[in-house]
Amino acid sequence: MRAEQRSGTLLAAPYVGFLLAFAAYPILFAVILVFLQWDLVTAPAFTGLDNVRLLASDSRFWRAVANTFVFLSIHVPLQIATALALAVALNRRLVLRSFWRAAFFLPVVISGAVVAILWSNLYATDVGLINRLLVRIGLAPVPWLTDPATAMPAIAVMVTWKNVGFYVIIYLAGLQYIPRSCQEAIEIDGANAWQRFRYLTLPSLLPQTILVVTLSTINGFQLFIEPYVMTGGGPLRRTYSVVLYLYTNAFSYQKMGYAATIGVALALIIGGVVFAQRRLIGRAEAL
Amino acid sequence: MASVSFDRISKKFDAVTVVEEFNLEVADGELLVLVGGSGSGKSTILRMVAGLEDVTSGKIRIDQRDVTPLPPRERDVAMVFQDYGLYPHMTVRENLSLGLRLRNVGRQEIERRVAWAAGMLGLEKLLDRRPKQLSGGQRQRVAMGRAMVREPLVFLFDEPLSNLDAGLRAQMRIEIGSLQRRLKTTTIYVTHDQVEAMTLGDRIVVLADGRIQQVGRPIDLYRAPSNRFVAGFIGTPPMNFVEGRVASDDGAQVFTAEAARVRLPEGGIAAGVLAEPVTLGIRPEDLRVDPAAAQGESLLGRVVLVERLGGTSHIHFDVGPHRMMASVARDGMGGVGESITVRVPVDRVHLFGADGRSLLQSSQ
Amino acid sequence: MKFFGRFALYAGLALAALTFIYPFLWMASATLKPPSEVGALSLIPHQITLDNYRLMWARAPFGRALLNSTFVATTITVAVLVFGSMTAYAMARLHFRGRAALNAATIAVLLVPGQLTLIPLYTLIVQLGWIDTYTALILPYLFNATAILMLRQFFLQIPQSLIDAARMDGMGELRILFTIFWPLSKPVLSIVAIFTFMGSWNEVLWPLLVVRDQQIMTLPQLLTVFALGGGAGSVGVSLAASMVLVIPVVVAYAFLQRNFIESMAGTGIKG
Repeated sequence: MRAEQRSGTLLAAPYVGFLLAFAAYPILFAVILVFLQWDLVTAPAFTGLDNVRLLASDSRFWRAVANTFVFLSIHVPLQIATALALAVALNRRLVLRSFWRAAFFLPVVISGAVVAILWSNLYATDVGLINRLLVRIGLAPVPWLTDPATAMPAIAVMVTWKNVGFYVIIYLAGLQYIPRSCQEAIEIDGANAWQRFRYLTLPSLLPQTILVVTLSTINGFQLFIEPYVMTGGGPLRRTYSVVLYLYTNAFSYQKMGYAATIGVALALIIGGVVFAQRRLIGRAEAL
Repeated sequence: MASVSFDRISKKFDAVTVVEEFNLEVADGELLVLVGGSGSGKSTILRMVAGLEDVTSGKIRIDQRDVTPLPPRERDVAMVFQDYGLYPHMTVRENLSLGLRLRNVGRQEIERRVAWAAGMLGLEKLLDRRPKQLSGGQRQRVAMGRAMVREPLVFLFDEPLSNLDAGLRAQMRIEIGSLQRRLKTTTIYVTHDQVEAMTLGDRIVVLADGRIQQVGRPIDLYRAPSNRFVAGFIGTPPMNFVEGRVASDDGAQVFTAEAARVRLPEGGIAAGVLAEPVTLGIRPEDLRVDPAAAQGESLLGRVVLVERLGGTSHIHFDVGPHRMMASVARDGMGGVGESITVRVPVDRVHLFGADGRSLLQSSQ
Repeated sequence: MKFFGRFALYAGLALAALTFIYPFLWMASATLKPPSEVGALSLIPHQITLDNYRLMWARAPFGRALLNSTFVATTITVAVLVFGSMTAYAMARLHFRGRAALNAATIAVLLVPGQLTLIPLYTLIVQLGWIDTYTALILPYLFNATAILMLRQFFLQIPQSLIDAARMDGMGELRILFTIFWPLSKPVLSIVAIFTFMGSWNEVLWPLLVVRDQQIMTLPQLLTVFALGGGAGSVGVSLAASMVLVIPVVVAYAFLQRNFIESMAGTGIKG
């Protein structure tokens, strides 16, 4: 089909061009940049592995990585627990079911910048809504975003809140696939509600849980707008994220080579972590 | 081991009545079959026994105990589902033992029962496999094993053979039947297949539109169906029906329809019913090809199609506007288009009134 | 007993739903309150004022930013739909050399985190002199790998007979795509349209890198700069700015929430 070959190639050509210019080239150039130092004004200078060496001993970078793990250690379990609980609650004949679903999903469609600004105000130590509520019920206000111990956890809770609707949908989709006969069989076998959840629902949702873990981990490593808007990376750099550091190096310090190195390192870290997670969960499933 | 009793059970979904005034006693150790088409209510009744559906009104008793308000797990019943309902992420052994583990049965006892069930069902080599590695028939057996292992008061089967191919179905039918006879557990078995019903049931309940049409032993339903529905449902190939009327002729009663005249046996039907529209029923296997058959005891027709199955032949023929079938031994005579005389043994004739009820039954 | 369980369930759901909706309600009402009342817990202001909005509008070019965002998001969405369909059509129904490789490359692109290519792309934009241009905001988003894969998946299922009949009628490939495939693809097209538009509408990091001129800034970007740069002056004003970004989305969401959910969840499930 000569004509088909021609039309196909013609139609696909713009995309190929696009991929070359905006995918292949940047990926390649990113690796090249690792070996350069460049401020976009003067000519780039070849610096060998300097950037890599600097990165390896850069406490700010590793602080950012550590922060991300703090974030993930709170965000991921919280995300799984809340999304799962809401999905199980929603997975039945309910009055106003679409309304509940829409309510939980609302923050997902709202811009991250808006959510960050909104929660900055909610978390504000003196006038923030949350502290006002705490005082109302007799508890002491907490300096959420200014205390190094609570800042990242506070952001983790906020990001969980923002994204939970998305994962609820994923879990809901998975719940539909549990055959009704299995649910009835386990009832007849003698399981109460908790046992049904533990022996049937939870194991059946393993693929979804893996997805939740992977996506929220990747999301966690890509954190930017939240620390940028809410804390600027403080207090004491406890909310400094890797992408924030990347951005600062590019935009403020004009160090393109180093920023690109951070980008490459981040990609490698994300790849490694996700790979390790899938392995771990896969092994847990086999047990 | 327990009896099951249905006391004025009815079930409504919103405004639709799905089961109406269902009364039945199932004896301890009996295999009772609920048979009917889709929408007949048979599965709903079974699920009410299991506790998977609420009862709108009435009571269900298992072993004299009123289980109506109880959830499934407190009823001591076990169920085999149409799609087996095996837990996909568990091995066969775990599938079999979950019910016992949930009830805190001791490990040794669990092992003993699992080994016993696996032995009975030929599952010993499959205990560590997952359901998706099993064939349909094997999954069937695991589903049965799961029920057996619980040693419940009642077994409930919900069309368990529907998803199997014909050959396997026949084989499993036999296995289920012999298994139930060995275990002597009260069993309620739901199916739409009347062959399963006839071969398995100690008694059969024929259901239509949520109402019992007839209850009885298979052979009784075959010989003496109490209405047209049961007559047409039980027995394969299905009964021939001809619409017509009964007239009195010289003291004897005769069934007449277009192109057909059949004498009714002594006694016939009640006089009050004469001149009402009635339906004559005669089973294909009761008809014989007999050119010498007498008038009033025969039907004259034209052959439309002959299906030769080897041991029997189904001869489809038209008697006037009525399409009928005779099931005869070996190679039936008659080619397509030929005329054919079929003898009607008058003592095998059924007659049904306009409302379907039986007016006359075969005396055999 | 059962009734109590049901009641507890609905009570729990209502409480949870409130947690998700209340902050937005609070935000909306805070924009209508004078500075003295902003911290108050009540949703109804004692004194309703439009000052926050007036100030916001005066202090930064939000009207312009709204136009910018609309322009950029719409252009990108249209481009992704049109160019994406063309590419997906070719990859699904036309046989050409390298088709399989292209498919593999598209999937590979999805695996690479955006941060890797961020800096090289930025340097590229700078070198080409495209800083502070709409081109910089739009060009890198003209083709979307997720969209192409989704469309391709859908196009694969359209019966070959329709294409054959059309070809025999003398239709060219583009005509086939837009007159036959598109009408049949409404569900997937709307899914792609929604997540592309939303993605572009909410995007902040890239604009922050390539645009400095407030006249070209997108809405979320201007909002961020405004809120952080102290231009707001007060909570009410920065929240008012947020509302401008949020209201169109919430309105669209209220009418199309099923489509939104299908769209954004669909991308995740593919992942």
